[in-house]
Amino acid sequence: MDTTNNKQRKQISAVFSFLFLSIIFSIQPLSAQDGAKLFKQNCAVCHTITSQKLVGPGLAGVAARVPNDAWLMKWIKNNQEVLKSGDAYAKKILAESNGMQMTVFADLKDEELKALVTYIKNPPKEVAPMPAAGAGAAAPVEKTVNPLAILLGVIAFLVILVAILRGLSHSLKNIKREKEGLPEQAKLTAWAELKVWMGNHKRTMVLIILYIVGGFLAASWDGMMGIGVYQGYNPSQPIAFSHKIHAGDNAINCQYCHSGVERSKTAGIPAVNVCMNCHKGISKGPITGTTEIAKIYDAAGWDPEKGAYTKPQKPIKWVKVHNLQDFVFFSHQQHVKVGKQDCATCHGDLTKMTTATQMQPLTMKWCVDCHRKTEVPGMKDNPYYESLHKKLSEKFKNLPKDEQVITVAKMGGIECGKCHY
Amino acid sequence: MKNTNDNGVTNTNSSPSGRSGGAVKYWKGLEELNNSPEFVQKAENEFAEQVPLEEFLGDNNLAIGGGTNRRDFLKFLGFSVTAASLAACETPVNKAIPYVVRPEEITPGVANWYASTYYDGNDYAALLVKTREGRPIKIEGNELSKITMGGTNARIQASVLSLYDSSRLTGPQSNGSSATWILTDKEIAAKLNSITAKNGNIRILSSSIISPSTKAAIAEFTAKYPTTKVVMYDAVSYSGIAKANEQTFGKSFVPSYSFDKAEVIVSIAADFLANWLSPIEYAKQYATLRRVSKEHTKMSKHFHFESNLSLTGANADEREPVKVSEQGKVAVNLYNAVAKLVGGATLSSSSLSCDATIAKAAKELVENKGKSLVIAGSNDVYIQLVVNGINQMLDNYGKTIDIENTNLTRQGDDADFTALVADMAAGKVDALITYNTNPVYTAPASLKFADAYNKVGLRISLADRADETASLATYICPDHHYLESWNDFNPKKGHYSLAQPTISPLFTQPRYEGTRQAQESLLIWAGITADYHSFIQKTWTERVFPMQGKYMMFAEFWNNSLHDGAIEVGTGDEVIKKEEKADDKKKGNKKEEKKEEKKEIAKVDLNDAAQKLNAAKGGEFELALYEKVGIGNGNQANNPWLQELPDPISKITWDNYVTMSPADMEKKYKLMKRQDREASIVNVTVNGVTVKLPVVPQPGQAKGTIGIALGYGRDKAGKLSTNTGVVGQNVYPFVQIANGTLIYASLDAKIESTTEVTELAGTQIHHTMMGREIVRVTSLEDYKKDPTAGNHPEMMYTNSGKVNPATLDLWNEHEKLGHRWGLTIDLNSCIGCGSCVVSCTAENNVAVVGKEMVMKTREMHWLRIDRYYSTNWPSEVAQAKEKADEKGVGSIDMYLDMENPSVENPKVVFQPIMCQHCNHAPCETVCPVLATNHSSEGLNAMAYNRCVGTRYCANNCPFKVRRFNWFNYNESPDFKINPTQDDLGRMVLNPDVVVRSRGVMEKCSMCVQRVQAGKLEAKKAERKLADGDIKLACAQSCPTNAILFGDLNDENSAITKLRKEDERNYFILEELGIKPTVSYLTKVRNCELETAEPAETKSEKKEG
Repeated sequence: MDTTNNKQRKQISAVFSFLFLSIIFSIQPLSAQDGAKLFKQNCAVCHTITSQKLVGPGLAGVAARVPNDAWLMKWIKNNQEVLKSGDAYAKKILAESNGMQMTVFADLKDEELKALVTYIKNPPKEVAPMPAAGAGAAAPVEKTVNPLAILLGVIAFLVILVAILRGLSHSLKNIKREKEGLPEQAKLTAWAELKVWMGNHKRTMVLIILYIVGGFLAASWDGMMGIGVYQGYNPSQPIAFSHKIHAGDNAINCQYCHSGVERSKTAGIPAVNVCMNCHKGISKGPITGTTEIAKIYDAAGWDPEKGAYTKPQKPIKWVKVHNLQDFVFFSHQQHVKVGKQDCATCHGDLTKMTTATQMQPLTMKWCVDCHRKTEVPGMKDNPYYESLHKKLSEKFKNLPKDEQVITVAKMGGIECGKCHY
Repeated sequence: MKNTNDNGVTNTNSSPSGRSGGAVKYWKGLEELNNSPEFVQKAENEFAEQVPLEEFLGDNNLAIGGGTNRRDFLKFLGFSVTAASLAACETPVNKAIPYVVRPEEITPGVANWYASTYYDGNDYAALLVKTREGRPIKIEGNELSKITMGGTNARIQASVLSLYDSSRLTGPQSNGSSATWILTDKEIAAKLNSITAKNGNIRILSSSIISPSTKAAIAEFTAKYPTTKVVMYDAVSYSGIAKANEQTFGKSFVPSYSFDKAEVIVSIAADFLANWLSPIEYAKQYATLRRVSKEHTKMSKHFHFESNLSLTGANADEREPVKVSEQGKVAVNLYNAVAKLVGGATLSSSSLSCDATIAKAAKELVENKGKSLVIAGSNDVYIQLVVNGINQMLDNYGKTIDIENTNLTRQGDDADFTALVADMAAGKVDALITYNTNPVYTAPASLKFADAYNKVGLRISLADRADETASLATYICPDHHYLESWNDFNPKKGHYSLAQPTISPLFTQPRYEGTRQAQESLLIWAGITADYHSFIQKTWTERVFPMQGKYMMFAEFWNNSLHDGAIEVGTGDEVIKKEEKADDKKKGNKKEEKKEEKKEIAKVDLNDAAQKLNAAKGGEFELALYEKVGIGNGNQANNPWLQELPDPISKITWDNYVTMSPADMEKKYKLMKRQDREASIVNVTVNGVTVKLPVVPQPGQAKGTIGIALGYGRDKAGKLSTNTGVVGQNVYPFVQIANGTLIYASLDAKIESTTEVTELAGTQIHHTMMGREIVRVTSLEDYKKDPTAGNHPEMMYTNSGKVNPATLDLWNEHEKLGHRWGLTIDLNSCIGCGSCVVSCTAENNVAVVGKEMVMKTREMHWLRIDRYYSTNWPSEVAQAKEKADEKGVGSIDMYLDMENPSVENPKVVFQPIMCQHCNHAPCETVCPVLATNHSSEGLNAMAYNRCVGTRYCANNCPFKVRRFNWFNYNESPDFKINPTQDDLGRMVLNPDVVVRSRGVMEKCSMCVQRVQAGKLEAKKAERKLADGDIKLACAQSCPTNAILFGDLNDENSAITKLRKEDERNYFILEELGIKPTVSYLTKVRNCELETAEPAETKSEKKEG
């Protein structure tokens, strides 16, 4: 009894303590981590966490400069009000930055402001190594042995085993013969013995040969089918641009840069001036520091010291990752705007990719397979498709449920003339 | 090999397929029919040549023992296959280079459209220019223009290719070598100044200038150099009309004509649908009165008198071939016939063979007084005077002829020009600036322009290339192409339009010295450095802006004008008043007198003119020069699209030639059997100039006359002539000067035959329909009685009696799900001008193949226009058969007999033929790889990358619309004429259409790229596709709106309604059960048809 009671009590207290802890954690104020995120989202365009000046002053040691934390929070939230109140320090800053005023962040909540201030006051020791360290940590885990080496090792082991066993068997046989008083049998060479064995196992040999020939043919077929298919193509680019940092960590919408995706057949590679929208302010990246971003400046003709476009422009020669054949017409707007397809369907999850990789084979089979099974989202609500949708629903209503789906193919989406002209 | 020869002959003769067998014989060609020894030898030895394997392998060691053995061959085969597959495995590295700063208006992959204007001194049209990634790739008509109303012609369609002409100069030239602008400007200014200082004469010779700003720029230039005078000269001149009007109305002008108000049109050799004055405008207007329906059975009546068979003559209801010398007499006799009916005084006359038609025309004209129009194409002032007289009697002025809002596109004055040449020859001209004209090429021989030109001290040409004139100039200051320039135009009083750059100049610094807008050059020499854009704005602020009352602010007015491209600003009275005020100041008070004069001069005495016209007498052959719809006056002779465009009548490409009546030819020359290919060469001498040209029999050509096209024989037009040799011969030297005007005819042309024979590249081998009803024709009278007249389906005999084959179907009908595209062509509106052919070429990246390939029937046009001459077919067929039986001639001769148009003046029909997108397409069923198949939207699609080139489909196509790429026209060095072989020329390609390679079949896709794009726009906007959202390239460019495209599954679309309601709708070769998607509307002629017989009797005859 006692023991069971005790057990129950322990269980209950464990549950309670877990609940308690989780509540504690959930109502815990925003941490410095969130401050970092907030800083990136709101401040990094104009300020650095170091003492380097961008548009606004560098923020290292700002806490010591300003009257107090409350003032700082007030200033971040609405610097206009602080200025209006006639604050002396505020006026001083304004004069220092040549009358250029800071953006108002009225939407920031108090906790967020606190988190921001905490982050600004306690900047991370070294900004750059964060993801690099991650990569380094990942490296030992990935230090796996090549499977081919394992296979070769196993084969070598087996060959040695066979050789030992053969020798063993030969010796045993001779010992037996010796016991029986027979003369010692000469040891055959391995090849001669194999020939004898093959002579005795003709059927097995035929099977083995067939297996080898079949394997060779299958391998050639695979190889031939792979000609022109560059799935996994991951070329190095002139600038080590990371999709992970932009689309993943900073959650920038794909369309911010690839703005043609809903308007044109091509999504478009952003012009350098699109990069400069943000990188005028952000001159240092988390992994590569300033070297890669300097390449953008070089292309745009931007002089970061003078803060002006003074140098000659040099277009960036990116390496195209997704190469579609010239004889196929593909339209991004049809798929993204009308078909409401997610970018990741074809391009994979770029928020996790450093450099863009061709994730899909981009073969016609791959296109057709998708067209065969995909129901067009938004077709029902688009007046363009109204009558077609009605007619097709009518046509397929007597089919089993899973065949009633109106796929792209059923709408004529796998006809030659839809893509080849 | 020799010994097989004799045996071969005997073998073939005794073979069962031989003639002696009496069975039906099919043969591949004349050679087989005649069993020539060469043919037999070839037939015995099917593989004409031994494959030179040693040469192919190229290694002597392997060839030891006199040959390569099979193993070696396999080794090489294996190696090359491996090498090829390894090469294919390598990942290609493609670069993607985005803009550094993307222009706001450019989204890669999306076309931008700019309104602009084309005017080259000849054709005028308001346009929309389609640009992709900053390159103009297609020209379309601007529907906002009240003049051209969205129409274009072949020459304008092709002008986008002239932009990417690498024969254009990339910078100024001084004495034939490259120079810099700074130096050139300095030298020219210095020379001009010294000429002005010694009071020397400076002349600007130009084609008609209709740009107010250009005139203003010239005014600035004249202010700086006061001895400057402008002489306007048009290569094909209309100053005869202006001169005649000067006599009739006291004011020199070319009037505006309204063919949409003219219910009776009499044209005396005026080719107003293709070349005369403003053909696009007139074709648009003309078509409005040619369209008929059950409800609207009124149709204009068109009489035509001419020597050559022109495009307009081919469209006429009643056409009379008359000699050149008789054209004036026709005018006089028509004058008399009308005068008799309205009770006016007659002129002295002579009788003509066509007097009956003239009387008929006069009767119709008088019945439609004020709703009729008489025009003459001749530049002879006397003819124009008589024509003015007829129009006055018919009360057409102010109704169908507008003498207030005059046509300003032709201002050339021949008398001024001849006077200028005389001055030049006399050394009285010190500087001559030529702008937009090429007189060394176009001037008549008698003027000896080149000699006179060389006597001018300072010769400046503003041409874009070193053409015939510019190459003799001291300085060439190359102008921009019109698609790179700013410009403004005033084609008619009250009508203004703008041209804006659609691409930044192709030739600019630092790579080239660069071209420069001609007007800017003039301004710079005048010491003004303003750019021409702001100069135009200044001119418009002063001149055009005050004429309109719609906008208060100039900026607003300018932006809207630029957006619309073409604007109308009332009648333009204000400016005229200003001008007249200025005139009054100069001339005192002459204005009042003039007005009084007008009324008096209206009764100008025509007897003198009539006498002169009646006195005209021709020699054995009279020559009439004409323009072709493609080459025109020859200013775009370097444009391969135009050279390959078949002439609408003769269907011959890449040449000009002598057209002659078949009767004359038979009398005088050996008539070639294959008229479309072989032609004997003759020497034609006029004005002491002899030109060697092939002669072609032309049905409808007036007996005793010949015709030759202008615009050919340009040796300095550009690189095209270096690749193909000079195309044709220049006949501008034949132009006569009489009574102060240039006459494009000669009454005495000497023809001398030679023994030489040449080949011509015609695209149509058959000239008649040989008894079939491919084009259905009826007369207006019959149509009024029965709307189905002329449109009777070929009936088919079945066990249940006679059945319309359209009702029979071997296959199931197609589902009616989404769209089902259809195309209907109104043969009544189609005038055969070829605008659609060039438009299709531009839209679909159709290759140019050159004369040699066209001769082998390998032209690539996706859309062709078939031209048929009428025959008395049932009798003709019967006769041909009888004759064949009697004389024992073969079928080829029999068919050739049937090919001869039956009458001297046959009726002509045009029929645009593109892929008919058959719903049960014969091509689809024979394709072994399913490269051609049917879409659910009713289109016959062609997947090029699937095609293996068996050509089964082309052989099985009843319409012969499939084109095979025999060679890699885009890369093979044999086809340098192809624009795609040129770095610049390639820029004209439409990026939405694949460029086809060797071994691939292609054909009309019904502009599937436009269909897909139109659908996508609707999908994106989440709306239903509206009728008319999609316009095919051919339909868009058609000046007469003959082509209608739409969705047959849409109950309310115009095409569904038309097909349902119009009894004229028919499908060609429907009896084959192929269910074409393209339909045609029966042609209705406003005349009696001599030869039409209903299909019923025909089939019964066949039965009997």
